[in-house]
Amino acid sequence: MDFTEEQIERYSRQIVLKEIGGVGQAKLLNSKITIIGCGGLGSPVAYYLTAAGIGNIKLVDFDTVDISNLHRQILHFTKDLNKNKTQSAYEKLHELNPDVKIELVNKILLPDNIKDIIEDSDFVIDGSDNIPTKMLINDACVNLNIPFTIAGVIRFNGQIITVNPKKKTACYRCVFGDITEHEPSMSCSQAGIIGLIPGIIGSIQANEAIKYLLKIGDLITNRMLFLDLLKYRFSFIKIAKNENCIACGDNAKNLIETYDYNIGDACFE
Amino acid sequence: MTLVLSDINDLKSNKIHKLDIIGKVCPMTFVYTKLALEKMNSGDILELTLDFPAAVKNIPDNCKRQNIGELIDIKHVDKEKKAWILKIKKI
Repeated sequence: MDFTEEQIERYSRQIVLKEIGGVGQAKLLNSKITIIGCGGLGSPVAYYLTAAGIGNIKLVDFDTVDISNLHRQILHFTKDLNKNKTQSAYEKLHELNPDVKIELVNKILLPDNIKDIIEDSDFVIDGSDNIPTKMLINDACVNLNIPFTIAGVIRFNGQIITVNPKKKTACYRCVFGDITEHEPSMSCSQAGIIGLIPGIIGSIQANEAIKYLLKIGDLITNRMLFLDLLKYRFSFIKIAKNENCIACGDNAKNLIETYDYNIGDACFE
Repeated sequence: MTLVLSDINDLKSNKIHKLDIIGKVCPMTFVYTKLALEKMNSGDILELTLDFPAAVKNIPDNCKRQNIGELIDIKHVDKEKKAWILKIKKI
């Protein structure tokens, strides 16, 4: 592909990298990534991927900007209160890099619509704030064979896993199983969260996406990364693929059609 | 498209590509060099004309470090204007 002089200048610090170059930059510009959620995680993810020149980005969020979001959701400003998060995010991202085609989906992600929303993606990033949605993203991506990364953040803690169904790596359900067996988890609004933890974890998610697209380095697959910013513990825990996993195991079911996710009952902050 | 390479065939059949990066400074000197090398075949020669003194060392060093090209000739063509011609062979 031929770059404009502006593109060569804009992406020069990436093109200089041995692992990227002009060939890698062209790949990024021709890629499609879907980001679920424009909040704490989605903000840094969308910011860095837009800046890096991922050519096509789809932003999915149904929510509006609340003043309590602003300490961590860095794409939204005080002037954006009550605005759709996707619109608020678009306004900053388009100013940051007009090269990038940004599509907005103002919908709650549901079993009914997830396939239509993600099926043309090269990579999907979970920036949702509840376990049922993370499971839904996991199950749909496994089913459609789309690599993805799921993260969670709360208090001073974060965790992240990447799943590559093309290489049959362990999925989110291999770790957490059937969520209907668990009590609903506590949300950020109740437990609290330090604003910068989604910044760090979201940046790692963006890194996972770029590295997957360029086939460079090692991904956080078949393991999970846990961060504890109080004690500064950064630890990887190995995850084995579960042969009996209901999403990706030998007798996996088509969960999107049959599973009761209770998305509506999930605790949205 | 601003990266214009001019091709001339040399006697040994390895193509020589000319690139003028007069006025460019580091790191853009290496960025343009790298983009040009990526478009060439292994064994082809890139003949760079440049006037940024630090690039005379930086470009060959970076090409070597990234294993994309090796310096085969260097000429100081215009001592007053400080212009150089570097020949880099694509690896």
